[in-house]
Amino acid sequence: MLIKVQSAAIRGLDTIGVDVEVNVAAKGLPGFDIVGLADKAVDESRERVKTAILSSRIEFPQKKITINLAPADIPKEGSVYDLPIAVGLLSILTGCQAPPKSLFFGELSLDGSLRHTKGALLMALFAKEAGFENVFAPKASANEAAVISGIKVFPVENLRQLLNHFAGKQLIDVALTPGVSPSTPGVYSEGEFNMAEVLGQEQAKRAMEIAAAGGHNILMVGSPGAGKTMLARALPGILPSLNEGESLEVTKIFSSAGRIPVGGSLIRVRQFRSPHHTTSPVGLIGGGTRPQPGEISLAHRGVLFLDEFNEFPRSVLEVLRQPLEDGFVTISRSKEKTMYPARFMLVASANPCPCGYLNHPKKNCICLPRQIKKYQKRVSGPLLDRIDLHIDVPPVEVNELSGNQAASDFLEPSSAIRERVVSARKKQEERFKDDALYVNAEMRNRHIKKYCQLSKEAEQILQQAGIKFQLSARSYLKMIKIARTIADLAGAPEIEVSHMAEALQYRPKNYEE
Amino acid sequence: MACQVTLQDKKYPKLLKEIGKSAPKQLYYKGVFDESIFENCLAVVGSRRMTTYGRQVVERLVGEAAAAGITIVSGFMYGVDAAAHKTSLRVGGKTIAVMPCGIDLIHPEYQQDLYAEILENKGLVISEYEGEMQPVTWTYPQRNRIVAGLSKATLVVEAGDKSGSLITARLAQKFKRKLFVVPGPITSENSKGIMQLIKEGATPVSSANEVISEYPLRKQNFGKSSPPSPASRDPRPNPDFQNSFSTLEDKILQQLQREPGEIDLLARVFCLPVSKLSMTLSIMELRGIIKQEGNKYYVN
Repeated sequence: MLIKVQSAAIRGLDTIGVDVEVNVAAKGLPGFDIVGLADKAVDESRERVKTAILSSRIEFPQKKITINLAPADIPKEGSVYDLPIAVGLLSILTGCQAPPKSLFFGELSLDGSLRHTKGALLMALFAKEAGFENVFAPKASANEAAVISGIKVFPVENLRQLLNHFAGKQLIDVALTPGVSPSTPGVYSEGEFNMAEVLGQEQAKRAMEIAAAGGHNILMVGSPGAGKTMLARALPGILPSLNEGESLEVTKIFSSAGRIPVGGSLIRVRQFRSPHHTTSPVGLIGGGTRPQPGEISLAHRGVLFLDEFNEFPRSVLEVLRQPLEDGFVTISRSKEKTMYPARFMLVASANPCPCGYLNHPKKNCICLPRQIKKYQKRVSGPLLDRIDLHIDVPPVEVNELSGNQAASDFLEPSSAIRERVVSARKKQEERFKDDALYVNAEMRNRHIKKYCQLSKEAEQILQQAGIKFQLSARSYLKMIKIARTIADLAGAPEIEVSHMAEALQYRPKNYEE
Repeated sequence: MACQVTLQDKKYPKLLKEIGKSAPKQLYYKGVFDESIFENCLAVVGSRRMTTYGRQVVERLVGEAAAAGITIVSGFMYGVDAAAHKTSLRVGGKTIAVMPCGIDLIHPEYQQDLYAEILENKGLVISEYEGEMQPVTWTYPQRNRIVAGLSKATLVVEAGDKSGSLITARLAQKFKRKLFVVPGPITSENSKGIMQLIKEGATPVSSANEVISEYPLRKQNFGKSSPPSPASRDPRPNPDFQNSFSTLEDKILQQLQREPGEIDLLARVFCLPVSKLSMTLSIMELRGIIKQEGNKYYVN
């Protein structure tokens, strides 16, 4: 007797439909085989399925059982096929009938219950696109799958409950879709620090605000202990929450990597990733024999913080160049090709020289000019050129700050800064509603031409600066983008001279003589 | 190609000959050996670890002196030496680099651009050593005697208490040449050597004129003139716009003249948001009134 159950295979962010064909032969030696390019985890599912069925007090037949996962030429991996295989067998053994147009996935436990399984969101998305009506998912993963509206997601606890549902004895309640509409209140990360806790650093805080508002990359250079890391870790607190489209993009990446926790649902908070400088190129951009998203994709629509930027091996940093420009990364392996989005905000911090005390007011730098040059050259020009805001973070003498300036009660808290950032982002969303972008940093040349009207004076100032500060063509455009963000923060429709002049403060600086 | 001048030659620099027994028997040189270059020489030496203050001083004093026609002599080391050569070239002045190594070697090697620039601009590179001899510990102080010997006066900018510049300074005194020093803040490591020299009778200076008056110069400016004062500078692109910020500009200017500082400091002093200050500072910088170095702003 042959039964077909529908499931799907996940490859990167793509999903491919898989027919799980279950056959219990009337003749032949007893056995249980799975065919169809199954990996070890799929192969082991025989034992899980068999024991789970027995644990659900259903007799397991001593017959020849063959499972085929079609199409047979695509590699199948993981534990998602436990449930469809079990459903196929149960249909034959008990005569129960699964409702038509249903998709199954989930890992079985030996006691017959279902465990959290990765990729629930992608499965549900596939189900909707392929015209399924019902998705049967483990209860722990159901919230994740329920993000997709327009299909019914049934959270399944164990096989017994599923049989009761099929028999109509006790129906499973459909999981509710966590609605996200523009009116839903934002969910914010508090950040590790509040901006009010950062004393001094007025310029750096302003730069952080601009970076957050326009999604710009930022490089902070300063001596050890100046507060670079603290500023970066306070950044999540001033970022707006993800909008609906962004949320879905981020959740898909996390779902494919199996990084959504039990019971987790749509990710609403911008991610903050800070990989250590010993991270490998693959760890950073993604890859592996079965491609996995790297740090840059996990930081999609969020922040990638590279502390001690100059300490990263050059080979690791240079891989950032293409994704910084394109906003995605294509991972090609001999057997698979996967595209992961990677539109992140790069926040980098670095020391000015090997000893760290160049330009320090109190301590003497002990580095030779050649060493300093060499140290600064560790990060290539093209990479620096892709960073919008460049700032110095000088050390702060806390005892030099007067009363008000030293008390965090008087300083602006992250929430106040965030309000300005959120309103600036709203203006950008409005502006780019016909284009496939969200923030100013994503603008290409044609967008700059279209949306960045410079007043005559502003243009004059920019031209003067281009000559005086020897700005590259790319920096020139970056200045316009930053000025656009500053204008958005100020609520101005046109870029005025004051916005342009402020933007120039964040130009790339040359530390050589 | 390196050429040679011996002690017996007529064109051997006169002042150097005056130092007597220690005068080098021969000098190798690169560039055009024009005797007039040796007429009014000023040795400028100082710390290798020059601070921004040191650079400012060099740019101000050496710039004016070189523009007035004084030849700047120094030792081609990084720090004050290199800054002195560079400043001299920038104002179109003449400069001589005295090397501590064989004439065919560039030391330090990474300053080859400066080396080439000196030769291209009628400057001179000299050494008493031939070929590609490597510099060793004793050749540096030997080199210093030539630097001091060539010059009518020596100017020391920033020197620690064990600085090699002190050797040059003391040699200058031994040769009965004028010794000028630029005082620095007493809290700086780079002022310790200077303090010693002042106590030993060196003349502290704060303006280029004090140095220039030591030289019998015709009242004529060589090369480019000295930098104009901030007030007379620059075509202002837009008078209306400029007026609206002039008061803040003045306040910033006054503050920076007292003490150079970073933008954060100015924000605290004036209780202004960084965004407004940034804008004003950018415009002032574009006009050339102030400049940014390291992370501080300085008045030009």
